Amino acid sequence: MEFLLEINVEEMPLAHVRSALSDMSEKLKKEAASARISCERLRSYSTTRRLILTADLDPGQADRDELITGPPKAAAFAADGSPTPAALGFARSKGVDVSVLQVITTEKGEYVGVRKAVKGRRTSDLLGEILPTIITSLSFPKPMRWGTGSLRFSRPIRGLLCLLGGEIVPFSLDGIASGNRTTGHKLHAPETIEVRSFEEYRSRLSELHVMVDAEERKASILSQIAALVTPLKAEMYPDPALLDKLANDVESPFVVMGSFPDSFLQLPLEVLSTAMREGQKLFSVVKGGKQLPMFLGVADVVADARGFIRTGHERVLKARLADARFFWEQDLKTGFQKSAPRLKQVLFQEKLGSYDDKAKRLEKLTAYLCGKIENCKKAAELRQAASLCKVDLVTDMVREFPSLQGTMGGLYAKAEGLPQPVVRAIAEHYLPAGADDPSPASLEGAILSLADRIDSIVGVVGVGVQTSGSSDPFGLRRNALGVCKIILDKKLSLPFNRLLEKSIAFHGDKLKLPKAEILDRLREFFSGRLRYLLEREGIRYDLINAALAAGLDNPYHAALRARALDALKDGPQFEPMILMAKRVNHILAGQTTPAVNPSYFVEKAERELSATSGIIVDNVAPMIAKGDFLQAQKIVFRLQPILNVFFESVMVMAEEAKLRKNRLALLQAIRKTMLQIADYAQVVVEGEKGSK
Amino acid sequence: MSLQRLILNLHHFWADQGCYLAPTYDLEVGAGTMTPDTFFRVLGPRPWRTAYVQPARRPTDGRYGENPNRVQKHHQYQVIIKPSPADIQSVYIESLRACGIDLRDHDLRFDEDDWESPTIGAWGVGWQVMLDGLEVSQFTYFQQAGGLEVSPIPVEITYGLERLEMFIEGKDDIYDLQWSDDVTYRDLRLAEEQQFSDYNFNRATVKSLRDQFALAEKEAQMLIEKRLPLPAYDQCLKCSHSFNLLDARGAISVTERVKMIAQIRTLVAQVARAFTAPEPGTEGAA
Repeated sequence: MEFLLEINVEEMPLAHVRSALSDMSEKLKKEAASARISCERLRSYSTTRRLILTADLDPGQADRDELITGPPKAAAFAADGSPTPAALGFARSKGVDVSVLQVITTEKGEYVGVRKAVKGRRTSDLLGEILPTIITSLSFPKPMRWGTGSLRFSRPIRGLLCLLGGEIVPFSLDGIASGNRTTGHKLHAPETIEVRSFEEYRSRLSELHVMVDAEERKASILSQIAALVTPLKAEMYPDPALLDKLANDVESPFVVMGSFPDSFLQLPLEVLSTAMREGQKLFSVVKGGKQLPMFLGVADVVADARGFIRTGHERVLKARLADARFFWEQDLKTGFQKSAPRLKQVLFQEKLGSYDDKAKRLEKLTAYLCGKIENCKKAAELRQAASLCKVDLVTDMVREFPSLQGTMGGLYAKAEGLPQPVVRAIAEHYLPAGADDPSPASLEGAILSLADRIDSIVGVVGVGVQTSGSSDPFGLRRNALGVCKIILDKKLSLPFNRLLEKSIAFHGDKLKLPKAEILDRLREFFSGRLRYLLEREGIRYDLINAALAAGLDNPYHAALRARALDALKDGPQFEPMILMAKRVNHILAGQTTPAVNPSYFVEKAERELSATSGIIVDNVAPMIAKGDFLQAQKIVFRLQPILNVFFESVMVMAEEAKLRKNRLALLQAIRKTMLQIADYAQVVVEGEKGSK
Repeated sequence: MSLQRLILNLHHFWADQGCYLAPTYDLEVGAGTMTPDTFFRVLGPRPWRTAYVQPARRPTDGRYGENPNRVQKHHQYQVIIKPSPADIQSVYIESLRACGIDLRDHDLRFDEDDWESPTIGAWGVGWQVMLDGLEVSQFTYFQQAGGLEVSPIPVEITYGLERLEMFIEGKDDIYDLQWSDDVTYRDLRLAEEQQFSDYNFNRATVKSLRDQFALAEKEAQMLIEKRLPLPAYDQCLKCSHSFNLLDARGAISVTERVKMIAQIRTLVAQVARAFTAPEPGTEGAA
């Protein structure tokens, strides 16, 4: 039976629409399953004003027998077999004669009970209970209330349409009753219509200038754009995020193309496209990599017959570009390098001081980093970039378009003729913006980005600012992710703890928390992000745990260890090695061990183990040092058969304490070597799965 | 259609919606939201409908009369309706039609834009309303004011009068607008913009402004203690304006800025509490 739900809302942001649709779909599936109703062909659609679900549901639950357990048999019948008051009372409460009670054998013993036929409920009735629960349980980052209601939602709910098999599913939500009506386009066809099916809903709304499928709207936008730019042999500059937003925001997409005066083309491309995108949500038009003095906009109308929409956008854009040109010229006149002292006036964080203070710390931290990275040859340029990278925050352009931070710094540095490594480092130091964004291309950009992020994280954590899932005002998690991503992308082998300690030291007396506590919090922070990146590479969580447990001091090496485990996990030696490591762990649990004393060895197998493990330790050390963990693990795996022989022929827990302690000490030494590569005991092997 | 005709149209429209037409408030404020007709009326349970014109002063936006869009004083048409009615969006759209805008030929969009004012401890959820790419209004469901949750929820609609008029007249330069059929915006406002820009950026005496801030803060504290939230709030507005002028003069250091905003916010929160929770025995203010 066809189910259709439309929640009519005031304009919802795209991110809210997406999360609401996926949560509602999940929850409906789950609720249907637990009510034993099949739910097929579940689909969701949306506009910024409508959340839509449709599916095929059973018309009702199947009838079924239910076994109701009553009192224990012993309490239900007297010695002569006649029913006691307990049995009579139970039968009466279930509306049956006492003679139909039957004996049920359960784990706890024998009881009396009754089998009753339960009529399945109608899906419509069930939905009337399920849907209000689902809708009110949706969560949003900043939920709101409206009117006199108590309901919290993304934006005000203004109507509910809910049908099953063409009939209204009755329920109400904060005073809004469900029905079979909806309305067309808010401005261009605000009629109310009644519908009986999804097909009718969809086609009637389409007549009323509402396309309910975001993919269809996106396709329409792209084909209209193609029709406009192809004759010019030009193309739209791709901007998938803007396209998604616009496809969400309109119900009736109509593309308008307009132009702006050629003279604005002197402005940098980045400035032009940002002014268009951020101010007015317009696409740029390019031809052979060059910007044309044109734009593409998506309106929520049927047509722009009188050209008002195009000329309106042209007028606003012209004013915006005139502003941008004023800022550009003004900033150049003021001078980029000359503006550096103004950073003293810009607060970074209340307790951490100004951006000038930050720039000074960055000069030191980049110098330290450069010293630790072998192919860092541009120390002087890096220092200059560190001192200037935040200066664009005081430019008029960045104050107007904050998303141009970094980019403008690079453009202004270039305009003043600074060396290319300085320009690139400044321009790239906010990269990567997320897990899918590229790291800085230049090493100088990467180092500056690392230093900037580490300085922020250390400082903000160090003054005691708490971050949580919903509150992370300084974007610390994004910054930590950036740090880990750069380290992996650039293959940087760094003494991480030392680096963090340096950054703490460069903060002087500004940090309030003790150093050890800061480091503890930071380790947790970074290990979480590193774990996330490795999981994205498809590495199993237990392998990541095992690799990270071997230490985080060098995050790049930690990642290499995880990748090495991942590469070897399907080999024949892997599982025996893991089981052996667990055995060693187990036997050492709670034991204190002295140093190994070779003169206490009595068995041949323990002498052999001692000798071989010594060789293996010597061989593994250089592999670890150079980060070749694949080779290091392969060598360590050779311990497994020898350990096996040892356990088979030597009684580790010997009665004589001296011998016992010495054998344990030998195992402890071997364990320490293994722990430099991975805590193998954390790897889950077949048969253990599910127990964790 | 002139700007004053636009104001008259809005007055007629919102009066017909049952709004009380408040006189313009007689202190300098940065936005219509800050006047008592909004700030106090959104607090407490009592329903309220009001509409008024409010000049909004933002000293840092001054451009010596040389920028076609930016001015250190512009005019807002402010509407507060509490509780927010279910059909408020349609009513707002109707108000644009009442201003003579034929929406069949235009692209009207509600674009996500949540609003927040740290100084008065207020935030809300809403949109900037765009007409053919031009922002003409801000549409907000208040959630908090003076640091307090509001209930029922008021809706605030703020029209940028100059913006809307530029749209209606199809003009690129604010000074070309007609205030009345005979008087232009240039006639009325150009000299003011030139002189105030000079005053705001160059002439205002920093020491006097600091003193004014400190005096108003002290006065506000005294009035809060005496449980006189209405005059206390005026003193908060004076603090806020002195702060804005100091900011335009470039006289506020990094740490000072944070401190001063926190000072005003603390006062405003105390005012809000004094207003909503009168002592036993006194008459409920809200």
